[in-house]
Amino acid sequence: MIRFENVTKVYDQNARPALDSVSLEIDRGEFAFLVGASGSGKSTFLRLVLKEDRATSGIVYVAGQNVANISSWRVPRLRRGIGVVFQDFRLLPQKNVFANVAFAMQVIGKSRSVIRDTVPEVLKTVGLEGKERRMPHELSGGEQQRVAIARAVVNRPGILLADEPTGNLDPTTSMGIMGVLDKINQNGTTVVMATHDDDIVNEMRKRVVELKNGKVIRDEARALYTSMIPVVGQSRRLKDASGRDDAADTSPPLPDRSPRSREDQL
Amino acid sequence: MRLQFILGEIGSGLRRNLSMVVSVILVTFVSLTFVGAAGMLQLQINQMKGYWYDKVQVAIFLCGEGSAAAGCATGPVTPEQQENLRTLLESPAVSQYINDFQFESKEDAYKHFKEQFSNSPIVDSVTPDQLPASFRINMKDPEKYQIISETFASQPGVETVIDQRQVLERLFSVMNAASLVAVSIAGVMTVCAILLIATTIRLSAFSRRRETGIMRLVGASKIVIQLPFILEGVIAAVIGAALASGTLWAVAHFFLGEFMSKQYPDTAFISPAQTLLLAPALIGLGVVLAGTSSLLTLRRYLRV
Ligand SMILES: Nc1ncnc2c1ncn2[C@@H]1O[C@H](COP(=O)(O)OP(=O)(O)OP(=O)(O)O)[C@@H](O)[C@H]1O
Ligand SMILES: [Mg+2]
Repeated sequence: MIRFENVTKVYDQNARPALDSVSLEIDRGEFAFLVGASGSGKSTFLRLVLKEDRATSGIVYVAGQNVANISSWRVPRLRRGIGVVFQDFRLLPQKNVFANVAFAMQVIGKSRSVIRDTVPEVLKTVGLEGKERRMPHELSGGEQQRVAIARAVVNRPGILLADEPTGNLDPTTSMGIMGVLDKINQNGTTVVMATHDDDIVNEMRKRVVELKNGKVIRDEARALYTSMIPVVGQSRRLKDASGRDDAADTSPPLPDRSPRSREDQL
Repeated sequence: MRLQFILGEIGSGLRRNLSMVVSVILVTFVSLTFVGAAGMLQLQINQMKGYWYDKVQVAIFLCGEGSAAAGCATGPVTPEQQENLRTLLESPAVSQYINDFQFESKEDAYKHFKEQFSNSPIVDSVTPDQLPASFRINMKDPEKYQIISETFASQPGVETVIDQRQVLERLFSVMNAASLVAVSIAGVMTVCAILLIATTIRLSAFSRRRETGIMRLVGASKIVIQLPFILEGVIAAVIGAALASGTLWAVAHFFLGEFMSKQYPDTAFISPAQTLLLAPALIGLGVVLAGTSSLLTLRRYLRV
């Protein structure tokens, strides 16, 4: 569904690349976490999938298509196949829950009757039935994020990208949101979620791709936030998360595809 | 659905930026009124030129009933006198100075008069008999008017020889200067309008950046995202252009039609209907102005 081939992204010539020769494949229907310290390139990865930015080198495939070959007037079609959720919800404050979700359908020209049928259904999926008429400021953070998720998936995209969707939420609420994302994933949507939230990653036991300084340093199925498998030169990974950012600079560069223990890859 | 959505967006955009929209309307109104004023002056010049102005320079008017001039002592021009004048015009002494000449009969004069004064009440009180026949002469060199005048003024059957350019040219140069001033003011005002439209669109895009950001993410097409902004500017400009057209019409109707045409009954003024011909041009100009200015602004300030 998403494939990166030696993708490098340089924003600033003088700084290190935000993504450094990343090769990665995420299959249809998969659920993958992107983890890594701040500035490791997680958001950049998601932006490249959306063609919000273009890769400096390498090829990004989304749904089998090289995004570099998508002409600018067809980018909207690419984006219709991708739902996006952010840490800050990004709801329209003057529209109620129903209208916020309906907005995503209106702007791509869906008919009123389709909207009337689809929106309540999606709101039910995210657990917001009965709250259609609420305004965003009348909702808790978790509920607002559910609205944002509903809006992201209302057009039935094949891919859902979530950039720290639980970043503003408490642990219990976060688990609720994860339940919603899991449910959407069960329905066949590929989910890629960038996060710093170790509890969630540990709880979900999904594929984990770890980035560091723009490189993939770990790619593990049913993994934890920190690696269980000692990688050559990466024994520090077994340490507590708080101590994991030192010593790395002296370690030898890692291959792009770190050892993976994903059975489903075969 | 999409159309309805776009209309709704335009409505909310116009409401949200009401004071800016009103200023765009006023600025385009003023600038297009000046453009239109220049247009009206040119129309008026054409109107006053009448049938002959661009074709000939000198007119030899022949005696009619009751002409008081010295050459008309024998009453209205006779066919022989007329024939003599024609022969004189064709003689080498005169014909070396002229390209060609035409004879305008009383009936022709009446027809041309009716065309030129179609907006004036005077047209009903004139009959062909009251209008003199004339020879209309196209000069090789308009400056040689004196020669024709001296040759023909004293001929029997000639009432008067006039150089109509001299009569009108002074007035026209004043009117042309006025058009130029109007166009210059219009130019400055147009720059104001373009900048103001750009600022309005920019503010509008800024105040709706949340919506447009979401629209981009869910895959709204460029047209759906940009059209509301562009139409917002265009609608304001069209309203301004319509107000300008209305103002020009009012000037033609009330000032020229009711006031000036009574003060100067022997001058042909343009009709209010003629000024309405300017309206499509003004509206078109407003649309182009607002459209290009908002397109350029959006290219810079609205990522899609
Ligand atoms: N638009 C930009 N212009 C210049 N540099 C950028 C831009 N966006 C990101 N970067 C740089 O690229 C690197 C990766 O940034 P990115 O946002 O992908 O990190 P991240 O992993 O999402 O971090 P966080 O966890 O804090 O969100 C950072 O060093 C950042 O400074
Ligand atoms: Mg980020």
